[in-house]
Amino acid sequence: MRILIVDSNEIQERLTEQLFYANTSVSEFVKEQIEKYDGPFDDVLRRNIVVAQQTGLPLCQDTGMIEFFVFKGYNIVFTQPIDEILNEAVRRVYKKNPFRYSVVNDPIFERKNTFDNTPAIVHTFITNQEYVQIRFLVKGGGSENLTRLFMLNPSARIDEIIDVVVNHVKEHGAKGCPPLNVGIGIGGSSDKAVVLSKLALTRELNEQNEDARYAELEKVILNRLNQLKIGFQGLFFGITAYSVHIEHAPTHIANLPVAISFDCYLCRKGVINVEPKRIENI
Amino acid sequence: MNPRELKISERINYSGIFLIMRDAAQKRIQDLLEQKKVLPFDLSGQIVFYAGPTKSLNGKVAIGPTTSERMDRYLKMLFELGVVATVGKGKRGELARNLCREYGRVYFVAPSGAAAALSEHVKKIELIAFDDLGPEAVYKIEVVEFPLIVAIDSEGNDFFALENYRI
Repeated sequence: MRILIVDSNEIQERLTEQLFYANTSVSEFVKEQIEKYDGPFDDVLRRNIVVAQQTGLPLCQDTGMIEFFVFKGYNIVFTQPIDEILNEAVRRVYKKNPFRYSVVNDPIFERKNTFDNTPAIVHTFITNQEYVQIRFLVKGGGSENLTRLFMLNPSARIDEIIDVVVNHVKEHGAKGCPPLNVGIGIGGSSDKAVVLSKLALTRELNEQNEDARYAELEKVILNRLNQLKIGFQGLFFGITAYSVHIEHAPTHIANLPVAISFDCYLCRKGVINVEPKRIENI
Repeated sequence: MNPRELKISERINYSGIFLIMRDAAQKRIQDLLEQKKVLPFDLSGQIVFYAGPTKSLNGKVAIGPTTSERMDRYLKMLFELGVVATVGKGKRGELARNLCREYGRVYFVAPSGAAAALSEHVKKIELIAFDDLGPEAVYKIEVVEFPLIVAIDSEGNDFFALENYRI
């Protein structure tokens, strides 16, 4: 069997760079959207891109809790546990830069700040690819509070699924710093659906679903969301959502889980692919 | 600032002082009041900004509003302590509208997700209390021409409740 060895230092170095970049620079897509916007605070939002890039101050003071999605070939070995590698990268970036520590150690009793923005959330997926792909989201607390899981009846019609998403955005979308990137996870189990909705946020903005039926559904939902006219900053001016992405999975005959996650208008995220350094046959 | 003169959707550039607090600091104030303890700072006449700043870079901090609705539960307490206005982001609940009307106070929204740009409007930042809370401690900041929009006015009118309203 071929064992592929991936160097943890390389992962750390590249993530350190990407995590800084995601907090201080927007993608071309987002930049274009902000340039097109001409409503309240438009001058501030445009200025923000310039100042963050010039100074290294973050685009948003909520520099988030980092959520990683690791896709790892089954025969790949890391030189350190993956959680340690990823947390060390987060620690380095957040200690070094003028970012905010937004993580507390315990949810109820202590709620003490960990003062290095760790731990990150890590999801690992085993694949048959001979490289490692790590995607991440810089997940702000405001948009994260709007994550929802709906356990629909398995017989729910398509328009009921659309309504669940649209009604949720109508009620709460303004709090997530729109225009939103909307991730929808459909199927699996309750927990799986939520992870899928996050995974959907890691897709390229406006990347089409490979399944034409889901691509159509994404388009219909996006149009419905933009009819809500929530607008940039929730101030009724400009578009409500940039894009909608659906990830789906097989599910139980009694279930139809639908999970919704949001990313704010900055859509801070990244992806790295790391090739193995060494190959050994055993 | 006379809050009663401001109407929803009005845009102002504020120069002056904000007291920065978010969830944890307000919870601690509530606990101190329940224990009949004296607060380590005075809130009367202050404007409370719901925010958590970043670490500073050459004296500059990135700062921006957090979701105000989470703070509705502490709003009566703040008004009782003499706070004249609050600043945050997003729509608030009916409770906040009623309290603004009852006390004749206002709620502003500031640009969200624009912390680097807003750092240019912060002249000075000073830690006031609860430093163990890190980014959730209480800070006093001096701002210049800080952009705000009136979202709830002193009559309880709510900008976000007006569907299809345009500034």
